Amino acid sequence: MMIFVLAFGMLILFLTFGIWFAAVLDGVFSRRLSGQSAVGLLAPFHAAAVYLTQQRLRTEAPDQLNWFLSIAGYLSVAAIGLAVVPFGPDLAVIGLDTSVVFWGACESLIVVLIFLHGWSPNAPLSLIGAYRYVAIGLPIMLPSMFVLIAAAIPAQSLDLREIVASQETMWNVIRQPLGLPLFLLLGLSLTLRGPFDYADSEDLAGGTSAEDSGANRAGWQVARLAMLVGFSAVASTAFLGGYLGPVLPGFVWLVLKTLVVMATVIWLSHLLARMPVARMLGLIWKILLPISFLDLLWAGLVALA
Amino acid sequence: MGMNWIAKLAAKAPVPIFIARGNDAPDETDKLHLNPNLSIVDTPRAASILLVAGTIPHALTAHLHRLHDQLPHPRATIFWHSSPTDQLSSALGVTHGDDLGSFLLQTRAALLTGERASEADVLPDEPANVWRGVGPHGQGGKGMMGGTPYGRPMAMTDDDMRDGLKLDAYTADFGPFLTMLPSGMILKITLQGDLFQKVAVVSPPYEDARQGREIRTLLKLLGLPALANRLLIENAHCEAGFKRLVTLSGVRRAIPPDLGRTHDGSDVRSRFEHMLNDPSNPQNLHLMGLGLGDLLEGREWQEAMLILNSFDNTSLRKICANTPTDATDDMGDSSEQASGGHEGMDHSSHGGH
Amino acid sequence: MTIVIAVLLIVGLSFLFTVGLRSGVAVDDGRQASNPQQRPVLGGSDPETHALQRFHIRYYTMTLLFVAFEMEMMFMYPWAVVFVEEGPKALAEMGMFLAILSVGILYGWKEGIFEWE
Repeated sequence: MMIFVLAFGMLILFLTFGIWFAAVLDGVFSRRLSGQSAVGLLAPFHAAAVYLTQQRLRTEAPDQLNWFLSIAGYLSVAAIGLAVVPFGPDLAVIGLDTSVVFWGACESLIVVLIFLHGWSPNAPLSLIGAYRYVAIGLPIMLPSMFVLIAAAIPAQSLDLREIVASQETMWNVIRQPLGLPLFLLLGLSLTLRGPFDYADSEDLAGGTSAEDSGANRAGWQVARLAMLVGFSAVASTAFLGGYLGPVLPGFVWLVLKTLVVMATVIWLSHLLARMPVARMLGLIWKILLPISFLDLLWAGLVALA
Repeated sequence: MGMNWIAKLAAKAPVPIFIARGNDAPDETDKLHLNPNLSIVDTPRAASILLVAGTIPHALTAHLHRLHDQLPHPRATIFWHSSPTDQLSSALGVTHGDDLGSFLLQTRAALLTGERASEADVLPDEPANVWRGVGPHGQGGKGMMGGTPYGRPMAMTDDDMRDGLKLDAYTADFGPFLTMLPSGMILKITLQGDLFQKVAVVSPPYEDARQGREIRTLLKLLGLPALANRLLIENAHCEAGFKRLVTLSGVRRAIPPDLGRTHDGSDVRSRFEHMLNDPSNPQNLHLMGLGLGDLLEGREWQEAMLILNSFDNTSLRKICANTPTDATDDMGDSSEQASGGHEGMDHSSHGGH
Repeated sequence: MTIVIAVLLIVGLSFLFTVGLRSGVAVDDGRQASNPQQRPVLGGSDPETHALQRFHIRYYTMTLLFVAFEMEMMFMYPWAVVFVEEGPKALAEMGMFLAILSVGILYGWKEGIFEWE
């Protein structure tokens, strides 16, 4: 019981701190790239306060329930992603023998939630964003789940705790070098960023969030950042050895590695161009998926060697 | 009325503004992206202040009023280098020489404290159409398709140009204040899913030379808004650092080959390259009767937006002139008009008021 | 049991947070959106019809191929656990399975299901 309360407290702290830090990093990277001075550490709070002072608009004949569910659900799924991550040996909020499967199931729900977010306002631009996202959100899950399963092979378990333990000698990022890069692409897609932002992109004036104002907009942006934190924690656990590390406590190592993954995802999102959706669809099936097969083969051969 | 703590925090943030461009928008309008006190948003839903830059042509004032009413409260309108329209007489005007950034900050602070009342709607608060029909949701008796359920008719089926599946075609006017369309441009687009089925010009883009705006819009459409803003800095396009970032981003590979090809063989890729390297020299394209329909029909949304923004303003206006126009019935009329005659189906007579 | 409680707690708190954003702290004066405010964003134009429609999805054939691979994932979870025990046999079996499914990709490619048809 005490352990559970401790782990849950760490989860809340990690998530809150992570969301704030992700927002700061995002501002720093985008302003640096555009050749401007960086923003202050409190900027995310100011921006959030602006949304909270604005009226929350509805549209003509919207699906109010699903509008709410998409935002709240996105945040829930993001937090669950963080909850399956072990903060130390046997210190996970959701300590499940099949946590990889559980996380994969949650991750596939995200496609549904993002679709609902674009569908519920009954507006043309968000509707296009919603349908278009599904075309990419679905197939990008295949290579990412393949590499996640490849990470499970040396652990002989679908438990993230076991996967961390199996990296005592060597991290998966070295053992299976193709894994992490492919997995990061999923992160871009789950958090609607950069080259994989087919839902909330500029060519649709914000896409699924084009109709969001006030609290809805604040909630959606917080959920997106929370997803980034959850995803980065899973990525650092599966590929960077999670809480493993010398001298410092395990939790600190996990936080540091999560921040590194987070910064990489944000950096990639500002740097990489987004191609038209049909081109991306072809890229995923014709190139990324075969590469993930290679990763699986590599992981299998290494495990048998 | 004092400020609560949320409002105090909000007063420290950059002011979210949505820019509605007029045909003589001042040159500094683009530079507003570099102002740390402002954040320029893509949708009126996120804005606190509507900034009208330059004079809005008479034909587009009705659109401006519709746009104005979409902002959430508390909101204000500021006319910059232009005078407020009759219906927006409570809006503020800023003339040459004033510091726009600090003026916007002050206005927003006044909105937050309640010193300045939030602007009321211009348009009357009534549904777009009267509900008509016998069903409990306003439908006309033929399932959900007839009548005007919840104030509007439903989209109707139409043949598809590609796979022949008879699904719904969505027709609407897009513009003139959408950030991804050239400013002033209104297109009547019929979409099948996200594919352009038919396109007609309601209003061509403004005549003003859009100094370098096309390349920045292209970069934004390709998911690189930070690099787009970097181009606002003097001579940024010649910098080695900028060129390296453009190459790293893979933006050239991201544009599909042969997209938006004209008769003389130029496509979006080559036009992008030209605008990036030689922004001061316009390209002389041979357009020979090329219309928007030839370019956009059958294109997916993002591709179509890339094609539109890959032309400089002069060429785009020529292409618009080659395109069949679609005269709308509500030009210069601020009152609400119902859009009758949709597909000639059973709801051809849903009158306005 | 702890797991169920944990999931419920996380989902509950997330919902509470979203409700809190909507009601608790906002300076919202409870104004309802007026009819002109409800109009969808079209940059100042007025739509003719509702946006919700029988949307023409261009990638529906791709989703069929996706289902095949997604089902295959179900077999891969247990496979990954027993992989090291089973040795090269497991590798060969999964290789064959993936090879057969990949023929599906090639066929789909030929039929143009990755295009926007």
